[in-house]
Amino acid sequence: MTAKPAAFGASDKLTLLLSLVPYLMDHDRVSVTTVAEHFGVPAARVRDAVNLIAMSGVPGETRQYLHGDLFDIQWDEFENNDTIVLTHLVAIDDSPRFSAREAAALIAGLQYLSALPENGDTDAIASLMAKLTRSSTGSPSQLAVSRTDGDEAISIIQAAVRAGTQVEFGYLTARGSAEHRRVDPLRIESVDNDWYLRGWCHLRGAMRTFRLDRMSDLRSTAVPADSHDDGVLLPDTLFVGSADDTTVTIEVPASALGLLADYAPVPTPTADGALTRAKLRVSHYHGLKRLVAGLAGVVTVVDPGEARQTVADWAAAGVARYDDDSGGRDDGSVGRDDGSVGAAADEVRP
Amino acid sequence: MSPTTEHQHPVTVEERLFSLVLALIATQIGLTKNEILSTVQGYRQRFQVGKDNSSLERQFERDKDDIRELGIPLETIESPDDPGSNHHLRYRIPKGLYDLPADITFSADEIMLLKLAATVWREGSLSAESRRALTKLNSLGIDSTDPVVGYAPFLRAREASFEPLSKAMDRGQVVAFLYLKPGESAPRRRVVSPQAVVLHEGRWHLYGTDQDAAATRTFLLSRIIGAVVALPGTGGHRADDGQGEQALAELDALWHAQTAAIIVEQGTDAAVRLGKRGVQVDSNSDSDSGSDSNSDSDSGDGQLVELHYTDLNILADELAGYGPEVFVRSPAALRDAVLLRLRLVRDSHAPFPETDR
Repeated sequence: MTAKPAAFGASDKLTLLLSLVPYLMDHDRVSVTTVAEHFGVPAARVRDAVNLIAMSGVPGETRQYLHGDLFDIQWDEFENNDTIVLTHLVAIDDSPRFSAREAAALIAGLQYLSALPENGDTDAIASLMAKLTRSSTGSPSQLAVSRTDGDEAISIIQAAVRAGTQVEFGYLTARGSAEHRRVDPLRIESVDNDWYLRGWCHLRGAMRTFRLDRMSDLRSTAVPADSHDDGVLLPDTLFVGSADDTTVTIEVPASALGLLADYAPVPTPTADGALTRAKLRVSHYHGLKRLVAGLAGVVTVVDPGEARQTVADWAAAGVARYDDDSGGRDDGSVGRDDGSVGAAADEVRP
Repeated sequence: MSPTTEHQHPVTVEERLFSLVLALIATQIGLTKNEILSTVQGYRQRFQVGKDNSSLERQFERDKDDIRELGIPLETIESPDDPGSNHHLRYRIPKGLYDLPADITFSADEIMLLKLAATVWREGSLSAESRRALTKLNSLGIDSTDPVVGYAPFLRAREASFEPLSKAMDRGQVVAFLYLKPGESAPRRRVVSPQAVVLHEGRWHLYGTDQDAAATRTFLLSRIIGAVVALPGTGGHRADDGQGEQALAELDALWHAQTAAIIVEQGTDAAVRLGKRGVQVDSNSDSDSGSDSNSDSDSGDGQLVELHYTDLNILADELAGYGPEVFVRSPAALRDAVLLRLRLVRDSHAPFPETDR
């Protein structure tokens, strides 16, 4: 998971300039640090923007950008006290509207958040979405995110985070063993439809990430959670490698590498261009066999042989489930998808 | 002390764009291209009287696009005396359409919620869009309430097609791409007028009008192969309102209409994870009056789970990953698809011949 925020470009700088003007108009005297905090940008960026605003304006009747055609500030206050006092306005005095895509990004984010229990007030969310729509230049209807049903687990964990108490649950590891866990919950994270709890695991004595859908019998306890404010930092990535990870070589079409992005594959150049070899770090083969079996015909394990064998055994055991079934055919004549169901799934035309 | 009006420093992109916006808002009747290039800060320094200014004109065209992409309503007015003439076109930004409507206000709670909504996008163009939206929101000077602790929700739009499709929708263009339909071995070129991109059940879908079929279709972004190309000469065909909701409603209807019956082995990953998603039913449905507490002691006796789905092939991929933990009862097409995948994985992972090196 490598989340890269887009760089702060000219469009962002222009947006900041256009947004600062009405803000400064409403605030007679305001310090650079206050503005920087409010807008969530470095103070230096605010100073640059104010410098630029104070020297900008319209060509005016003379088309010479004369003094009266420009914004103005109290320069002494700005230069000596790092304080902004806007004294003359030009052309704009109000906040700009959102673009259709800006409004759409926020609306889709709201739709996603509406799965969270305390955002369950759908009327409030709907009214907010309507406001965003009215505040945008174009129609922001091109992006939509389906409502996922809020998991009960989210509410339980969230309440425990607030109360500062431990939670306990049964957890099935990817290796297949069930263990009882007691965790100081720190944060709920989600990636698309998958939800995770991150916290301090008392069984392991370390920070751990748990999938919510692998938990059973989740309940909150009255036991106070330990404080992890100092010393323990949550890494930004959900999955962190460990020293005992094994490296596995796989073969995959270059175009499909994106499917494995969570596992940070390291591609190696090969002679024939169609397939790429890549190295993956896995903690054990139990996760690998599930991953590869779920990407049939896309990913093939090359090395080590033990990993290949684990995957082959896993798939063979799956095939065997159908051997003694009257409906199963192991003569290779698997019924072709005639499109009657698959076509609807691919191209939806209800 | 006041700054001199003649700048000694080179004019930055943002200064040129800012000056252009100010000039076009300040004018009532609009400015011609020539007036803009010869008077507006950032252009006028490079404008050559009576000479060829074509590179400056191209710069102006790009700047117009950039400004419009920020939601600034830059209008073109034709001269009533000379309609159709490029030379007398006038440009302006009507202040009434630029300003946020006066009656729009946000509460501190709403600002907090919007800030959280913006953090949902942490990568790609939507994170930039969200960030700009927040900057505009911050201009209102409303402080937000304290954020909800302990959340880091995160949506990804990793598919390479996401960006060009969004752009094409913005400009109302028709696009072409290669699409690999399940059950077919080769991708086919599709020409589509995109109307919405929606996330349903964790997957991004394109909803649009297939130009060949002249009907709406839904495509999975993950099955778009290679580049999405906007067709020249198209554009300005804005999608109707509510297309996103319409697409989601259709996907929901399909999801509800399709049900798979599978048996999951007790105590396995499949039982825990799929069990939460499905409608659980007792596997011996004829004798379900008894308790279900002792059923897990019978080895091989799994639990029947019914799952809704939109895409048979995607469900088959997922179910194959569970290997022997899952047995598909119905539909037959799903069972075949899972079996096909498992055989493929088994056979492609057969031991290498010893001699082959």
